Amino acid sequence: MYSWDFSALQPYWGLIWNGLGTTVIYTLVTVAAGAAIGLVVGILRLNAARWLDILLRAYIEVFRCTPLLVQLVWVYYALPVLIGVDMSAATACFITLSLYAGSFYAEIFRGGILAVDKGQWEAGRAIGMRRGKIFRRIILPQAVQVMIPSLINQTVLQLKNTSLVSVVAVSDLLYQGSVITAASYRPLEVYTVIAVLYFAVLFPLTLVADRIEARMGAHK
Amino acid sequence: MNGQQRPILVAEGIHKSFGNLHVLKGASLKVAPGEVVTLIGASGSGKSTFLRCMNLLETPQDGFLEINGRRFGFSQTGAPPRDRELVALRRDVGMVFQHFNLFPHMKVIDNIIEGPVQAKGIPIGEAREHALDLLSKVGLADKADVFPSKLSGGQKQRVAIARALAMKPDIMLFDEPTSALDPELVGEVLGVISDLARDGMTMILVTHEMGFAADVSTRVGFMNNGVMAEIGTPDEILHHPKNERLRSFLNRFHANR
Ligand SMILES: Nc1ncnc2c1ncn2[C@@H]1O[C@H](COP(=O)(O)OP(=O)(O)O)[C@@H](O)[C@H]1O
Ligand SMILES: [Mg+2]
Repeated sequence: MYSWDFSALQPYWGLIWNGLGTTVIYTLVTVAAGAAIGLVVGILRLNAARWLDILLRAYIEVFRCTPLLVQLVWVYYALPVLIGVDMSAATACFITLSLYAGSFYAEIFRGGILAVDKGQWEAGRAIGMRRGKIFRRIILPQAVQVMIPSLINQTVLQLKNTSLVSVVAVSDLLYQGSVITAASYRPLEVYTVIAVLYFAVLFPLTLVADRIEARMGAHK
Repeated sequence: MNGQQRPILVAEGIHKSFGNLHVLKGASLKVAPGEVVTLIGASGSGKSTFLRCMNLLETPQDGFLEINGRRFGFSQTGAPPRDRELVALRRDVGMVFQHFNLFPHMKVIDNIIEGPVQAKGIPIGEAREHALDLLSKVGLADKADVFPSKLSGGQKQRVAIARALAMKPDIMLFDEPTSALDPELVGEVLGVISDLARDGMTMILVTHEMGFAADVSTRVGFMNNGVMAEIGTPDEILHHPKNERLRSFLNRFHANR
C-alpha cells in the first residue's frame, strides 16, 4: 500500500499557486481573444463574399481538424523558421490558443445567430430598425441564449487545453507539476493535487453555467 | 377607389422574381386614405409577396411604389433603395405577420416600445405611456409586464398589432393575421382589426376570412398568378365575380367550408 505524504509538497506550494495562476490567466486571456475572433469571424461568415467565406472556413477547419498539441508545436518551432521571426513560448501559446478557441467560438456564434428565426429580422425591419440595431438588440440576445451551453463547454475545454502549453515549457500548473516531481520524487501527490486543483476551478464553473442557463431560459 | 381623394398608396406594375420564379407579374393597387382593402387568392398567387413589396421587405425588380408621397421606382438595373429611405418608409407602414414574430426575450411593453424608442428616438417615458394606451385598446392592459411566451396566440397577435400601431403608421399591412390561430381565438383579433377600420386606419389585409372581408372591406382584390385579376366592392367580388378564376376560387372556397 502506497503511503501518501502530502507534506513533502510543503516547499513547493508557491510554485503550484504560481502555475495555477498562469493557467487561469492563459485561459482568461485566450478565451477573451478567442471570443472576439470568433464573434468577428462568425458574423463575417454570415454574409461574406465567396472568397472570404472560403478563407475563413479554411481557418476554422485547420484549427478544428488538427490536434492543439500539433498546432502549438508547429507555431512554436516551425512558424518562426518560415517567417523568420523569433517567438517566445508565451507568445506562441497565446496566438495558438486564441486562434484555436476562435475557430470553435466562430462556429458556435454562427450557429447561434442562424438558429434565430428569420421572422425576428423581419419584425425588426418592419418597425424601421436598422440592421446593426436589429442584430444587437433582437438577434444577438436570442442567439446568446442558444449558445450559452456550448460557450461554457468550450471555455471549460479551453482551460483544460492550456495544460498543453507545458510542452513548450510555459510554466503553467502542469509544467510546475513536472518540475516539482523531478525535485521531490512524489509524482502521485503532485499530480493528485494538480488534478484536484483543475477540478476545483472547473466544477464551480459548470455549476454557474447551469445556473445561468436556467435563469436565461426563465421566460421560455 | 372613389376617385376624388389622392391615394395614400400606389403600387403600379410591380414585378418580383425569386431566382427563376416569376412571382409578381405587374401587380397594381391604389388605396385611398381610410380604405380597407382585402386581398384574396389561391395560395402561391403572390399575395404575401405583394404585401411585402409595399414596405419593401422585398425589393421589386420593376414598377413603382408611392406611399404618402414617398416614391420608389424599381428596375432590374437600378440601384436598390437606400437604407435610409427604406427605414423611413417602414416607419410609416405597419406590418402584422401571420406568426406574430414578437421578440421573445422582451416583455410585452418592451416589444411595443422597441420601434418608437430605437427607430424613432421617442423618449422612453412617452413611448411607454403610448404603449399602455395601445395595450388597453387591444384589451391587454394587464399584460404589459409578461413575456410573450405566457400569452395565447390571439393575445400575441393583439400585442403584435399594438407594436405596429406604436409607430403611428399611416397604413397597416396584415398578412393572414388569423391563419395561425385556433378557431376560438380568431374573433378577438378580427375584433381589434374591425375597431381599427372604424377608427379610419388605412389597411391592406390578406385573409381567408370571407365573412370578415365582406364586413370591413371597402374593396376586395383577387390576386391570381401574380397580378390583381379583379378588384371591386365586396359585393361585386364576392357575390358577382366576373373573372372565371375568381369564380372557381370562390366555389372551391365555399365547398371546403
Ligand atoms: N423568399 C422567397 N424565396 C423564394 N420563393 C419565394 C419567396 N417568397 C415567396 N416565394 C414563392 O413565391 C410564390 C408566391 O408566394 P406568396 O407571395 O407567399 O403567395 P401567397 O401569399 O399568395 O400564398 C410561391 O411559389 C412561393 O414559394
Ligand atoms: Mg401568403
